[in-house]
This record gives sequence, C-alpha cells and structure tokens, in this order.
Amino acid sequence: MSDLANPPTAAPPSTLRNLVLPILIAIVIFAVVPAVLTSFGRGYFWQIANIALIFVLLAASLHVVTGVAGLLHLGHAAFYGVGAYTAGLLASEQGMPFLVTIPAAAIVTAAIAFLVALPTMRLVSIYFAVATLAIGQMIYLVLLNWVSFTHGPNGVLIFSGLEVFGIDLSSPIATYFLVAVIVSASIVLIHRISHSYYGNALRSLREDDQCADAMGVRTARLKMEAFVISAAFAGIAGALWAHTTGYISPSDFDFAESILILAMVVVGGLGSLPGAVIGALLLILLPEVLRDVGDVRNIMVGIVMFLSILLLPKGLFGEVSALSMIRRQFGDAWRRDENGKGIGWR
Amino acid sequence: MSDFLTIQNATRRFGGLVAVDDVTTRVDHGQLVGLIGPNGAGKTTLFNLISGFTPLSSGDVHFKGTRLNGMKPNRIARLGIGRTFQNLRVFPNMTVFDNVSVGAFGTHPQSALDALRSGSKRAETISERVWQALERTELAYVATDLAANLSYGKRKYLEIARALAMQPDFLILDEPAAGLNDSETLELANFIRSLHADGLTIMLVEHDMGLVMSVCERIVVLASGKKIADADPDTVRADPAVLEAYLGTDE
Ligand SMILES: Nc1ncnc2c1ncn2[C@@H]1O[C@H](COP(=O)(O)OP(=O)(O)O)[C@@H](O)[C@H]1O
Ligand SMILES: [Mg+2]
Repeated sequence: MSDLANPPTAAPPSTLRNLVLPILIAIVIFAVVPAVLTSFGRGYFWQIANIALIFVLLAASLHVVTGVAGLLHLGHAAFYGVGAYTAGLLASEQGMPFLVTIPAAAIVTAAIAFLVALPTMRLVSIYFAVATLAIGQMIYLVLLNWVSFTHGPNGVLIFSGLEVFGIDLSSPIATYFLVAVIVSASIVLIHRISHSYYGNALRSLREDDQCADAMGVRTARLKMEAFVISAAFAGIAGALWAHTTGYISPSDFDFAESILILAMVVVGGLGSLPGAVIGALLLILLPEVLRDVGDVRNIMVGIVMFLSILLLPKGLFGEVSALSMIRRQFGDAWRRDENGKGIGWR
Repeated sequence: MSDFLTIQNATRRFGGLVAVDDVTTRVDHGQLVGLIGPNGAGKTTLFNLISGFTPLSSGDVHFKGTRLNGMKPNRIARLGIGRTFQNLRVFPNMTVFDNVSVGAFGTHPQSALDALRSGSKRAETISERVWQALERTELAYVATDLAANLSYGKRKYLEIARALAMQPDFLILDEPAAGLNDSETLELANFIRSLHADGLTIMLVEHDMGLVMSVCERIVVLASGKKIADADPDTVRADPAVLEAYLGTDE
C-alpha cells in the first residue's frame, strides 16, 4: 500500500487514472439509478432514492464532526430540523424560491450551531456528548412547542412547487436530479475538507488534542469550525427533505433520528467518508429491501447493525483503507510528482 | 543582547508539593542545554511551564521578548517552541506523513476555505515541510505506514519529525532516549548534535546523565524542584551537590 515512498513505476501521474472512480460514481448517480427507477415507473421509488441521498448527506456531515474530529455528537438531527424548518417556512410563508432557501438553511443552521456550541466546546468526551444531546432535545422541543412560529406538532406543509429559474422541477425525475446535484456538490466539499491538511488537523483533535495543541493547532477554534461546518451541511439536507417531502413535523428530527445518523457513520466506519455514504445507503435501503418480510424487518436491520459492528468494528469501509483509496483514486486530493510518487494532500 | 528564553523565579505547586521551586535560568540562542535530575525532580513540570501545559504558580517565562505566562500551548507553539513528550504521544491512527503534517499545519495553518480548493500554495508549503522533516529523520520510506505500526524507536523519531515540521526556533525534548538501547541512544545523540549543528536551539531532558554529558554544552541540574547546578558538563560532574542528589535517591 506504500504508494507514496515506493511508487509503482507503471503508475503514471496522469489525471485520467484518478478520474475513473469519480466518473463511475457520477454515471451511477446520474444515469444508472434514474434509468432503473424510470423503468420501474413508481413514484415511491423516486422518493426512496431522494431520502437515501439526503441521508448520505446527513451521514457525511456527521462524519466531519464525529468521524474526523472525534466529537461524539448526539443531537445532529436537530440541525437537520433547523434547516428543514428554515427552508420550509421561507418557502411556504415567505414564498422564497428554492435556490434561496438552500443557502438560507445552511446559514441559519450554521449560525444556531455556532451560538449553542460556544459554551459547550470546552467540554470533553462524554460531557460534550451529553451537551449535544441536550442541545438536540432543546431544539426539538422548540420546534414542537413554539406553535405560533413552527405550527407545533401539526407541522408545516410546503405547497410551493420545486422551481429553479422558472423551470418546473416537480416531476419525480427532475426532483431526483436536483437533489442528486446538490448532495453530490456537498459531498465533494466534505471530501475536500476531510481529505486535506485541514482534515488531518481535525483528525489530530480526535487522536490527542493536547498534543495537537502543543503543535500550534488552535484546537478550540477547529472543533468549533468542524461543528459548524457539519451543521451547515445538515441544514442543506434538511432543506432538501422539506422540499422533497412537502411536509415536515418535529418528529422527523427527534433523538431517534440523531441515533440513526450516528449508526450510519459508525457502521460505515468512523473517519471514513465513503464509509459514511455506504452506512447511510445500507440503513436506508435495507429496510426497503426487506419491506416484504413484514414487521420483523426492523429486527433484521438491528441484527445487521449488530453483526457489522461485531465483525467489522472499524466499519464496512474503515478509515485506513478509505484514505488509502482516496490517495490512489482521487487525484484532486493527493498530488504526485512526474514519477507518480506521492507528494502530499493538496 | 536580546534574550532568547528566560525563566525567572518559576514556581509550580501541586497542592502542598512544590514540583518546581523558584527556578531561574536562561537559554541563549544557538545553545544546546541539558536539564537533568533524578526522577520526580520537576524536569517535565519545568518543560510544561515553558510550553504552557501547566500554569506557573509564580514567576515569569519570556521567549524572544514575549511573556508566556498564561498563554495557551498552541500560541506558545506558534511563537516558535516545539516539544516532544516523555510518554510518546503520536497520533496512532494516522499515517506517518499525516502525523508530521499536523506539525507543519500548526505553525502554517490552512483554513477550511483554502482546503476546498485543490492545489493551494498553503498545501504545497505544508507538503514541502513534511518531506523535509521526514527526510531529516529518515522516516520518508515509512511515510504511508500507520504511526501505530512503527517500532518504538521509530515513533520517537516521528515525534521529533512532527516538531521539526513546525520549523521551531527552540526545541525541547523530554527524555528522548528513554526506552532506547545503547546503540539507539548513541544514534540519537548524533542526531541531536546534527540538529544543533544546523542552528536549532535545543533543551534536552534526561534523568540519565550519559547522553546529556556527551552532547550538551551546558547543563542545568534540578533536584526536588530546585536548581542545584548550572554549568558545563565537567563542572557539573564534579559538583558534590549533584553527586549527592543522585546518590541520595534510589536512581
Ligand atoms: N499534574 C500533577 N499533579 C500533581 N503532581 C504532579 C503533577 N505533575 C507532576 N507532579 C509531581 O511533581 C513532581 C515532579 O514531577 P516531574 O516534573 O514529572 O518530574 P521529572 O520529569 O523530573 O521526573 C513529582 O513529584 C510529581 O509527582
Ligand atoms: Mg519527566
């Protein structure tokens, strides 16, 4: 695996080799999946695809703060909810266009994450986890009880159709493409953040933050940044949820949802971005695949999670192999010299 | 002359215990100073006072004219003080290359926005610094290995490489030879000498006199938190107070 010090001489530094995997992934998302779903011709499948993509983004966003920076976050779904309500209320009550509600959701969620995190970032390990649990519960209770603003348990209906630059995108396939483009773009950004020297600094917080401190790393500030960046992407996921389902209510963003997202990240592999993506796909699609089995399917999902953590505690696609793959296959992140020898993150 | 590192009446109490007791000393630019003393003498605590890991109970520490009292470790590090730890502290689940990159990042950080774009100058500079440090410590050939998989001796060099990637003006090494055998210790002594020859100012802690006597031009001796000697190796070796401190313990 030592692609860095002892380069395989046959490997050219060509960007072509580095593009194969990204192009394959793009083909699957933008051609294979839509083609298959079109042939099935059922609206329900499109919705499952959208939900899978939204949870891929949720897991990827939690990956930044919990997987990479090592901060156990038990309230992630609340930020997902803040994004959903921001987008939902702006669209249904202010008539804001779709393309405005997405960045608005990201910014509002990031701002709220910043404010609630300010007093908690000093806490460590289990204390931080409990603080995020409390933050999640507080936000959930606000969504539930601030009836004049959020409509409480009745939730919010979003009537405004999906329109971008005056083009109607509310057909299932158009909505899928819209979600796929936004999720893919977000994942690319998270990829850049995780697979860079910045990402390494975040990892050092997880490994030994005191030691990182001695290296000159601004640990408190970086933790805060990881938390806020993670929340911003959860906010985008929330906005997509609000627009694609057309209805949001507080129960979509409760503690169980936070735990589900956490399970995706852990089952996939803490610290591994491809792992988070795989974990999300598994835990969203498996229950659908098992739909015919009836009520025992939830037990079966539990068994799959249990076994995967017992047999593969580092995850289905652990961090070490994920990083090694990123270095070999994603040329935008890992630079090589003319001999194909690795130089470093870029 | 301009001061490099000055320690004035530094004291650190842990409850009733005075771990560092009214120590006054200095390190001049370009020196290689040894700090010795029996186990529990307060050497690590003095290092922690310099690097900001432990607050001073009283006294002052200045580095290049800046008062360090009350500063966070990362700020002190960015002023140019790199350190290693007595109990090895590498980042076990990161590769050797990525470990060292954290040192370079610490003093030459990349923002999240900068990380978003490929091929930034910042990232390039960090890469260069990492390779320099890896080549200096002869770790380049294990660059993609996990730190956890390195031998104990190699991990010691990894810690030093990480500190070197910070490009510090002052390097403090806390018992780098602990756990090494004689030939490894000899090799390390040569390595420290070569770092010093390159112009780095170094303070080296050992509780074993051998290494320090052979590489350092000046030696500070601590016993029970107090400075009992501060002179060249020959003078220190002949100092009755030093002999007594070493014989008086079970070392
Ligand atoms: N964080 C701490 N809390 C309480 N006592 C400490 C702490 N750190 C060090 N000490 C005590 O201070 C004394 C000096 O320790 P140390 O500086 O580690 O010695 P050395 O490095 O010279 O072996 C010891 O008696 C040690 O038990
Ligand atoms: Mg010590």
